[in-house]
Amino acid sequence: MSDALDKRSLDSNSVGKIVNAAGSYGIALLLLALGALLQFTGVIHSFLSVQNMLNIVDTVALVGIVAVGMSFVTYSGHFADMSVPTTMGFTGYVCIELLRYGFIPAIIGALVVGLLIGLLNGFVVGKLRANPIIWTLAVNYVTMGVIRLIWVNKQIYPDMRGSGQEAVALFDNIYRFRFFNLIGLPVVILIILVIAGQFVMTKTTFGVKVKLTGSAFRAAKFSGINVERVIMAAFVLTAFTATISGLAVTSLSRVGAWYNGAGYDFKAVTAIVIGGMTLAGGRGSILGVLGGSLIIGILNNVMTLLGVGTFSQDMVRGAIFIAVVGVSAKSLRSLGRDDA
Amino acid sequence: MSEDDIGLALQMRNVRKRFPGTIAVDDVSFEVYAGEVHALVGENGAGKSTLMKMLAGSFDDYEGQIFINSKEVKLHAPTTAKKYGIGMIYQELSLARPISIVENLLAGRLPRKGLLLDKAAARKQALALLKRVGLEIDPDLPIEDISPHEAQLVEIAKVLGNNPCILVMDEPTSALSREEVERLFAIIDTLRKRGIAIVYISHHLPEIFRIADRVTVMRDGKKIATKAIGEISREEIVQMMVGRSVKEFYKRDERQIGDTRLKVSGLSRFGFFHDVAFEAKQGETLGICGLSGAGRTELARVLVGLDRADEGRIELDGHEVQGRSMAEFLEKGIAYLTEDRKIEGLALRLAVDENILAPIVDRLSSSAVYSKSKGKSLIERLVAELAIYPPDPGRTVGNLSGGNQQKVLLAKWLASAPKVLILDEPTRGVDIGAKMTIHASIEKLAREGCTVILISSDLPELVGLSDRVLIMRKGHFTREMQYQECSEESLLLAANGDAAYGAVVGSAGEANGATAAGSAR
Repeated sequence: MSDALDKRSLDSNSVGKIVNAAGSYGIALLLLALGALLQFTGVIHSFLSVQNMLNIVDTVALVGIVAVGMSFVTYSGHFADMSVPTTMGFTGYVCIELLRYGFIPAIIGALVVGLLIGLLNGFVVGKLRANPIIWTLAVNYVTMGVIRLIWVNKQIYPDMRGSGQEAVALFDNIYRFRFFNLIGLPVVILIILVIAGQFVMTKTTFGVKVKLTGSAFRAAKFSGINVERVIMAAFVLTAFTATISGLAVTSLSRVGAWYNGAGYDFKAVTAIVIGGMTLAGGRGSILGVLGGSLIIGILNNVMTLLGVGTFSQDMVRGAIFIAVVGVSAKSLRSLGRDDA
Repeated sequence: MSEDDIGLALQMRNVRKRFPGTIAVDDVSFEVYAGEVHALVGENGAGKSTLMKMLAGSFDDYEGQIFINSKEVKLHAPTTAKKYGIGMIYQELSLARPISIVENLLAGRLPRKGLLLDKAAARKQALALLKRVGLEIDPDLPIEDISPHEAQLVEIAKVLGNNPCILVMDEPTSALSREEVERLFAIIDTLRKRGIAIVYISHHLPEIFRIADRVTVMRDGKKIATKAIGEISREEIVQMMVGRSVKEFYKRDERQIGDTRLKVSGLSRFGFFHDVAFEAKQGETLGICGLSGAGRTELARVLVGLDRADEGRIELDGHEVQGRSMAEFLEKGIAYLTEDRKIEGLALRLAVDENILAPIVDRLSSSAVYSKSKGKSLIERLVAELAIYPPDPGRTVGNLSGGNQQKVLLAKWLASAPKVLILDEPTRGVDIGAKMTIHASIEKLAREGCTVILISSDLPELVGLSDRVLIMRKGHFTREMQYQECSEESLLLAANGDAAYGAVVGSAGEANGATAAGSAR
């Protein structure tokens, strides 16, 4: 009977992993081809221009950075961190507010606030075992309230509040600095994070522990793995990457606003599941998630060029999310693994 | 149909079920008369479950014919099987835990008054069903508030509610205590008298001799034989099951017992066990015997740091062990093989090697970079020592048979090289081959100087492996027995209470002789 089950274990061997990860890149290529086709048939213009490709890559970077961190939460079997949007917004505010003390202190301040949010999430979910979605959603709203309390419903700008010109210029450059006048800083950060994330997930004891925790929480705990600490670290990583992306978005818009990170929670989760990471945890890879982020980025771009409105775009992403989760649940069930 | 077929409730003729690359059930013919209890035995992976799944309508591509009450049927869907009166009682309960007994029993056919649920009628029907299994309990309780054996009886009542003519029971006694088993047997007897055909799957041979009319043995997907229960002995069944003779199941070597390793004094967890004290030495196997609910598992959980004691001390090599997590206890060398294999024991979705290395992830690497290759030789040794099949460390554990999963679970704790290993039901529900391997491995571990604490309801296992057995009853240690005084009977009587104990001490030596055969379940 064991041979009959060989097929089932396909997705747990290395070939299966590569196919899974490569799958999202295949879809990304298909989307590129679709964009090219739309351009050749005259429906959209300038899709294939260098400028547009850079636009795509820049969008991918903002989503991808969040997704890399959040992958650890998903991989640990805790679905997603829904507090990402206001973590991004809040840290943006903090950074702008602190710019008057200089660029570096502002960045450090933002990171500290982000890490505190991550620690709080990690503690409540990991130690007190709150439902991760509900808890982080609640944190999202509470943080939004805190932002409105502190800044009395006002948006703030980097060049007010007596910040030094140099600091403001540096802040503007978080998003705008381009290596060789071509590759944006967020893109480089994304590449570094992907490489580091893939390494941590597959080659370190921490990665192994996250996998064990995500695959079988109780068995991991009963194997003497400090699951609380693992979960806490996963949420801290998410908050860290959300902060980075939040700073980039704030730098892009040149304004501290509570809605700066709006939609990034769902975009990141969608990138993660399209990238082949199962919501049940313990399966998938950072490389796959990068592919998922590419898909989200290209899709965004094509839809924008087509003149699809923001809300309709949300709808399309939602439909894709449902389709991916549904299909993967069905295929897992047909393989006798209805646990995912 | 010939004359002989009269009274056959179920007839499976030359059935076969292929999975890609293998034949799980190979040309098996299997018959059950109405009013017969027909035992189906075989090692894990012999094809029993597949045969019964076929009957339950799980496959739409089996070959061969199935007749129910002499009428050919195609059992291609679970609903069809149910329609033909086939009831299945699985080892793992199919009850919804948060909802009430009534709702579980009558799921899908709750009585209604117009659009509303007729609660009074539902309660009445539920009580009638419960009465059939002799369970007196408030049917409005949710399943999670009743004990496992009560849940088992509710499950049986639920299946009986569909008025089956063929009833398949897969290891129905694994969660039951001895008295409850007797009650179940009485129920089976009534069902038999009512003309229901019963297929009884069990690893527990004494049960089969107690309850079955005929027995069919399967091995490697094939039927080996069907015999009337009076025409066959335990030893013969075991030989047919394993295809080899099982002599000298437990051969007792001279053991080297060293200094005190674990010392427990005045240990209590209120409500579960009280003032427990014992010592366990290096190289000693200490059995803990007790009925279900005696507090054995609760004691183990405190000994490994999962729960905290309310009072008392645990000392390891003369130093008090304190800590807030299991991880700290594990680091000091106290490991725990849980009773539950599938949730607490193994990560079923991960590979064999990943599971085995789980407790030593940190120890394996000196830096944060994980080096799985360092564990490679260890894994190869353990896979070979425990004869894990298939011998492929990359195989997903969930795809292994129950016996092999249990071996992986033991391998995982052997890998952690513990000073004290607490085993909670290390061979529950596994086939005899796996059991022998696991026992050999436990003995080897003890010879190497590890202190083994063996909690088991498998009496032959306790008798065969322990140097000393502590009897636990209602949260207290009531007696200590050296292995010379241990026999299945003496342990059982002691666990049930001291009054009956004296009567059998004299016959212990005699009973020991029967142990080898008895252990072969």
